[in-house]
Amino acid sequence: MSFNPADLGWLVPFLILAIVGMLLVLAEAFYKGTDRTALVGLTVAGSLASAIASIVLYRQLEPGQQIALMGEALIADRTGYVLSALFAVVTAMTALMSPAHQREHDWQMGEYYGVLLLSASGMVMLAHAGNLVTVFLGIETMSIGVYVMCAMRRRSRRGNEAAMKYFLIGAFATGFLMYGMALIYGAAGTTSLVKLQALLPQTQNPGLVVAGAFLLVVAFGFKVAAVPFHMWAPDAYEGAPTPVTAFMAAAVKAAAVAAMIRVFGIALGGEIIPYGTLGWASPMVVIAAITITLGNISAVRQDNIKRMLAYSSISHAGVLLVGICALGLGSKTANSGLVYYLIAYSFTTMGAFAVVSYVGSRGRERLLIDDWAGLGNQFPGAALAMTICLLSFGGVPPTGGFFGKFYVFKAAMEVYDGQLLWLVAIGVVNSAISIYYYLRIVTAMYFREANQPFAPNRSGGLLFVIVVCPLIVLELGLMPGWWLRLVG
Amino acid sequence: MSDILFNVGYGHFLVLAAVLFLIGTAGVMIRRNALIILMSVELMLNAANMTLLTFARMWGDLSGHTFALIVIAVAAAEAAVGLAIVVAVFRGRRNVDVDRLTTLRH
Repeated sequence: MSFNPADLGWLVPFLILAIVGMLLVLAEAFYKGTDRTALVGLTVAGSLASAIASIVLYRQLEPGQQIALMGEALIADRTGYVLSALFAVVTAMTALMSPAHQREHDWQMGEYYGVLLLSASGMVMLAHAGNLVTVFLGIETMSIGVYVMCAMRRRSRRGNEAAMKYFLIGAFATGFLMYGMALIYGAAGTTSLVKLQALLPQTQNPGLVVAGAFLLVVAFGFKVAAVPFHMWAPDAYEGAPTPVTAFMAAAVKAAAVAAMIRVFGIALGGEIIPYGTLGWASPMVVIAAITITLGNISAVRQDNIKRMLAYSSISHAGVLLVGICALGLGSKTANSGLVYYLIAYSFTTMGAFAVVSYVGSRGRERLLIDDWAGLGNQFPGAALAMTICLLSFGGVPPTGGFFGKFYVFKAAMEVYDGQLLWLVAIGVVNSAISIYYYLRIVTAMYFREANQPFAPNRSGGLLFVIVVCPLIVLELGLMPGWWLRLVG
Repeated sequence: MSDILFNVGYGHFLVLAAVLFLIGTAGVMIRRNALIILMSVELMLNAANMTLLTFARMWGDLSGHTFALIVIAVAAAEAAVGLAIVVAVFRGRRNVDVDRLTTLRH
């Protein structure tokens, strides 16, 4: 690794997030009074500036062009900039959702916004990672920030418990990640992902590669909440404040998958390492199949909406793993399919959790499905937004969720010799099952009488997210080609 | 016998690191006190560091050394956040036993 000042221009999206994040932490120290609206403004401005910088830099690059920055520590390419723009926009939406929730549930803290942006800077680092060191640093920068955000509602027992579980499991996963990386480093003597791709197949110690790759599968399994490493997710998602849950489900998961695209697609990709009984693809396809199925079956039994969405996000992690397997096994369209899926999934998740945050109010979070009865009569707009998001989760056309699943499964079918056909069949059957529990919420909202009048959590930022996310989800479904060509 | 004791090679360090990693993993899974779990995680990270350093010496490559330094710094930040969370949980419940964290279980 070497430092080249000229490369800093390519890192502007990252630098904006990191610098504004540090300024926000500093601003909180000198801030008088309890109103934090100015900090929200700065957070949104910073993340949007970062998103615009990503788009500008994206347009400088040819399709497929990759520029190595800082001696291959980071890679500038179109996939990276699309994902970093996505992370920045999701961060801005999280910031817009937060003040209403903080006011309503009494946890006003200005540090929250600084930590949010610093965590987002870790995600941008993951989107551009070109080296095991930057993968590790990005994952930790992102995760440590989210642990803090999860624990910020200090007086809530459930919040503390969620933070503790999330932290302990996250730290455990870091141990696996580090040891796996150390073994892979031992097999090739380099940490650069591109060099690893060339050196790993001809290593003297294939045992180190196999052990290291399996440890990385476990570590990333924890990070994206794949079965059997998912136990923390429902508890952490339920106990964390709703805007933080949205951030965890949308951005953190997407960033972990972005890191997997780099690690499993580049470093452990190629013609040899993923294949065979000792290749990492064999445990990964099994994990993907169990994750899709078990996530769905557990979601059917849930009565709490946040827990149900947690299990549904576990099952979506399974679909993402199918995409990662397809990428590793050499499918040409897997990369663009995965990026499309991440965009659709992130906006759907933000929209759904924004409605959850809107419906709950002081002293009564209204998280049970029964509590949502009659929402369609009293607040048709919120119910419609939730319905669109749920249909997108279930993969019903014409939403982004449908085309996301379609493109990922199509990429999986292109794998040589139809090796993943059975996995695609499992995925399609599960999409059909999932519609059942998503429709439970929809029927509760439209076809049942309210047992108590709603007192929603009104705020401009929250309403903006509720309006914009379903529109983006529909737009993704109506014009999928444009989004797919972003990285194609 | 004396050969194993006095000619310490790379293999010894790698085996020691693997044993430390296993002890750390077992500690996380068996012990129920959050502080001990945190210590076990540190043990796992240090095992990874020792592996990194051994391989860096074997390959004569500096990037493994810098990686280990970065891991130490990040592990310190993680421990700081983790201890803060442990304190917050302790304030509410007067214990940090992970088996008794059952508010969120259905």
